[in-house]
Amino acid sequence: MTSKFSNIFLASVLALATLLSGCDSAPAAGTNLETAKQKADQCVEPTDKMRSNHMSMLDHQRDATMIEGIRTKQHSLNECINCHVAPTKDDGTPLRYGDDQHFCTTCHAAVGQKIDCFQCHADRPAGDENYQHKVGSADAHHFTQGVVNAAMPTAAEVQMVAQPQQGAAQ
Amino acid sequence: MNQNRVDEYRRNFMTALGGVAAVAAVAPSFVLQTAHAAGEVAAKPADQAVTDAKRWGMLIDVTKLTDGGAAMVAACKKEHGWGDEIHSDATQKAHWARVVKVTDKLTQNSFSLPVMCQHCENPPCVDVCPTGASMKRADGIVQVNKHTCIGCRYCMMACPYKARSFVHEHLIDQKAHSPRGIGTVESCNMCVHRVDNGQLPACVEAAPDAVTFGDLNDPNSTLSQTLKAIGGKQIRADLGLNTGVRYHGI
Ligand code: SF4
Ligand code: SF4
Repeated sequence: MTSKFSNIFLASVLALATLLSGCDSAPAAGTNLETAKQKADQCVEPTDKMRSNHMSMLDHQRDATMIEGIRTKQHSLNECINCHVAPTKDDGTPLRYGDDQHFCTTCHAAVGQKIDCFQCHADRPAGDENYQHKVGSADAHHFTQGVVNAAMPTAAEVQMVAQPQQGAAQ
Repeated sequence: MNQNRVDEYRRNFMTALGGVAAVAAVAPSFVLQTAHAAGEVAAKPADQAVTDAKRWGMLIDVTKLTDGGAAMVAACKKEHGWGDEIHSDATQKAHWARVVKVTDKLTQNSFSLPVMCQHCENPPCVDVCPTGASMKRADGIVQVNKHTCIGCRYCMMACPYKARSFVHEHLIDQKAHSPRGIGTVESCNMCVHRVDNGQLPACVEAAPDAVTFGDLNDPNSTLSQTLKAIGGKQIRADLGLNTGVRYHGI
């Protein structure tokens, strides 16, 4: 096993262990855990359910929307983005899913899971849309609250999340 | 196609709603009616599936289009964000709608018309798709389910109207309401996100005097009445596809 894969493996095990044991370990200094905790109550599902089942909910919603035109907001990807992702980084530049400040990327990089959604879907709220507020995206919510002991992913690991398809024109 | 797990969700919902849904079906005042010079779209409750009670369509009066449809194409482009692919050449760039100029060889009479997906009732693009990604919704809107599109482009070859294009490059900054991405085929989806929301398609709004949008199944809709009054031709009617987009003045 290469060291990268063993890191990923370790991270996954840690993620799972943390999921099972709850996520109330002491946060690192300077994170906005308070905001995140407030926000957890507002989420459409309990945090543990979101962590393990968000893709199955999104898959179900996507079929309902595409095939039958059902456009409820409860499990809509757009609504996840509107709530969890800020339109810009702290320095004002657009926040993309290849950045380690992106809510989805923080966890996906830690568990070594590429994200395909944003090859087509908008990865942040449109600037003129009224998004609610970010949850710890800039402060790596998942690393402090979820995967407590995992090392921050390297820049390459974060990049992996947003890798374009093979053979793509660059 | 209809026997998927979505049905279960719908069934549960319909049972839960019970009588309310039934009342909605017989009392049109229950749903919001948006009257508009260019046709009407009733807002559909977000949690209800589309049905084949309606069939969306439009009539484009080419004689009233002073620009040959350029404004309609521009509105489509703006709404969905296609056509600005930076690495693709002119033949590769997306074209959901385009202005086609027709000249009669004998008389030299010439006119232009906007051509987009014609939302065929019997769509060849759906017949040839190996994965079911190219699909027709119950209400007649033909679209590509990009989640299952494998980019084989059979549908592009099958479409007699050259309505479809393929995304050749990695895209960023897509519109939240119109996901588009590399390796998939795309085409006019009749602004399905707007129609479901009770709004007219972007191109119809851009040419309200020339285009009528509405329900082809309802003989009393503005669309059906206008078709009855002035008529509406299909492009290549000989193919027998029964298109949802009709033209007057061609
Ligand atoms: S016009 Fe082309 S893409 Fe549209 S439904 Fe007909 S065959 Fe399919
Ligand atoms: S209905 Fe929408 S997608 Fe189709 S041509 Fe008009 S603006 Fe474009």
